[in-house]
Amino acid sequence: MANSDDLAQLIIGCKSGDSRCFSQVVDIYASRCYGYFYRLTGNRDLSDELLSELFVKLVEKISSYKGGSFEGWLFRVASNIFHDYLRSRHRRKKLLDSQKEQIESQIIEPKKSGNEQLDILQMQLEKMDSDTRELIMLRFYSELSFKEIAKMRSEPIGTTLAKLHRGLKKLRELMS
Amino acid sequence: MNSRDSENLKDLFARFLSDEQAESSVEDIQKGEQILRENPAPEPNSMLLANIKAEMAMRLPSRRANIFSNTAYRIACAAATIMIISAIGIRLFDKTPVSTDIQYGSLIPQNVWDGVDITTDDAELADYAIKIEQIEQELRALQSGESAGNGESSLTELEMELVAINNDFWKE
Repeated sequence: MANSDDLAQLIIGCKSGDSRCFSQVVDIYASRCYGYFYRLTGNRDLSDELLSELFVKLVEKISSYKGGSFEGWLFRVASNIFHDYLRSRHRRKKLLDSQKEQIESQIIEPKKSGNEQLDILQMQLEKMDSDTRELIMLRFYSELSFKEIAKMRSEPIGTTLAKLHRGLKKLRELMS
Repeated sequence: MNSRDSENLKDLFARFLSDEQAESSVEDIQKGEQILRENPAPEPNSMLLANIKAEMAMRLPSRRANIFSNTAYRIACAAATIMIISAIGIRLFDKTPVSTDIQYGSLIPQNVWDGVDITTDDAELADYAIKIEQIEQELRALQSGESAGNGESSLTELEMELVAINNDFWKE
């Protein structure tokens, strides 16, 4: 993991349009961001798409990063991309509601691609509500503090703590 | 070190729960996160990362071009604003009295009439124009029979006068 000085230098490089700096940012964060998307969608192809979109957005929006936690900023963008995906899926679902159920089930739930098998954790995560799942993943992959997560989610820190505690406790129960 | 490492979970929970509950909650969180560590998500494949990097690099030149054009627009706008403000400022603060001398222009465009003394020429031209107009009016009156003159001889007389004026004008 890059220390804060190295990261600051990388971000300065990114802001000046240096492709090598962007490349290093990808090397540092791709794994965590991919894990975040995968655990939220359970689909590798979709995670590939969302990860690509995230880093393209990084190029477009790096000038709007004005300091503070870079992880916080990056995962906020990632979270927005995921929510945009959810909204577009919802729109597609509404559109297809008027059509045959058979088509709907093929297009709306692209859970597995090819021979992909979901791991046990993924199966248990899908039994949890989406908000709690997202909170757990945000905390785990972004490595942000509760204070930062609460700020990002615009909720009191006590609420964030309670939700995450309940969620992880439930996950333990499901996994045992 | 990230911000998460520096936070004390027990203190955080202790703000809302008893010490015992706080300790138990921290333990629940740590065990839950241990499950996530033991079940890692798949890694993105190297081909995907190479494609992403290529796409990012591809988008960079256009971004630079945009930055350049935006900068150029901003400079142009700033320059225009400065020029407008300067022009208004000069008008507002320039105390030199405005010249009140009336400058008369010629009736005849200079490319048509190249006279030695354009002011005199203008006066004469105006005089001739009035005379011609008077004669034309008289002529029209005679032709329509409104005038009580000598008929054809008056008409001829006027025509002669008109020809004389015309000749005098072009003589000078």
